[in-house]
Amino acid sequence: MKRELRWLHASLLAAVSCAFAAYAEAQGDAKRGSYLAKAAGCVGCHTEAKEGAPAFAGGRALKTPFGTFYGPNITPDPQAGIGKWSEADFLRAMRRGERPDGSNYFPAFPYTSFTRMTDQDLRDLWAYLRSLPGNNRANQPHALSFPYSMRSLVSVWKRMFFTPGPLPNDPQLSPAAARGRYLVVALAHCGECHTPRNALGGAKKDRFLAGGKGPDDKNVPNLTPTRLKKWSDNELKEFLTTGMYSDGDIPAEAMAEVIRNTTSQLTPEDLDAIIAYLRALPALPEEPRDNKK
Amino acid sequence: MNKMFVSMALALGLGAAYSLPAYSQAKPDVLVKQRQAAMTLQGKYFGPLNAMAQGKIPYDQSVVTRNAGYLDALARMPWDGFAASTKGEKSAALPAVFTDTGKFKEHQDRFQAEVTKLASVSKSGDEASVKQQITAVGKQCGGCHEDFREKR
Repeated sequence: MKRELRWLHASLLAAVSCAFAAYAEAQGDAKRGSYLAKAAGCVGCHTEAKEGAPAFAGGRALKTPFGTFYGPNITPDPQAGIGKWSEADFLRAMRRGERPDGSNYFPAFPYTSFTRMTDQDLRDLWAYLRSLPGNNRANQPHALSFPYSMRSLVSVWKRMFFTPGPLPNDPQLSPAAARGRYLVVALAHCGECHTPRNALGGAKKDRFLAGGKGPDDKNVPNLTPTRLKKWSDNELKEFLTTGMYSDGDIPAEAMAEVIRNTTSQLTPEDLDAIIAYLRALPALPEEPRDNKK
Repeated sequence: MNKMFVSMALALGLGAAYSLPAYSQAKPDVLVKQRQAAMTLQGKYFGPLNAMAQGKIPYDQSVVTRNAGYLDALARMPWDGFAASTKGEKSAALPAVFTDTGKFKEHQDRFQAEVTKLASVSKSGDEASVKQQITAVGKQCGGCHEDFREKR
């Protein structure tokens, strides 16, 4: 009798969790999505750098050697934002770097990273974005220099430098490091700044997270053990939560903002996972630094 | 008589001008060391305030007032250490310090203004506005480090 009850209990539980999973898949969980939005740092590029600017309503300028990009409005406003989008449009943008009309996004939008996100995470993130208040702040067109202003060229760029799809399994990594890898690669898109790029703006894959020049042409540090071995886990954790080195020194504002928006908002487990992953990276030598700028 | 007086004064003045550099113009490597010392001490006195602003350590009004006062003086000290003579010295200063002097000066002024404000707000003892001002100072540190200092 007792055993039977236990079976009943187990199957009920299974049924409930299946139903829940199905519901979650259909709807997306906005609360989980809010955490994912922090982990992905969406607010940074999609909010104007101005005191009191409406969050996610666009306007941040990203100055690159190819020109200046302006992050668009991603609130649910039907005209100014992405209110008319379907979930499928969102998945397509994040996974394939395509706009609802089929044309390409410039890779200033880091779909090269977001393409690695799981379906569930994308759906949850979508649910969260839908829950934001709409804001009618109009988008600003990018100011790019020729020929980079030609959107059609992005399809060539994509063929060269973009591999869509989720992360392949890496059995070498511990479960924590694997979670860290997902956070670093897919969500927090650390490599978009910390991996050096070639002349066409494609990431140098064999130099992943080795630092050098960031997209704004400023030097960024090497995140592989070559440099980080000098830091204890605790120092790293303190840095990523307080935005301060152990001697009270303050990093450049670009990283300080990432710390405020993203790393300081992560659960302690996720932060540990990121550190475990960075520790497991192959140690790459420093990129030669050109200090003429 | 008058002429003699003028020329004597001139000679004295010139003498002073010639002897002045020995006191006022330190060698480039010394200037670098001194400006770094001023920066290091700012870290020392700002660190605990930043930790308080983020709730990492308990708020301590007496430490805040003391450190903010120190910082108000320290925040004025590094800048004359970035003399053109130090351009070739090994340091974390980026070339922009010497090429984009206008913007560098703007950053210094904004930073000093925020630190001075912190010193005055800290006397009010209003914890919330003190913490807010600490964050504002931190943003100025990072804003200048962004363009003018090599990443650590």
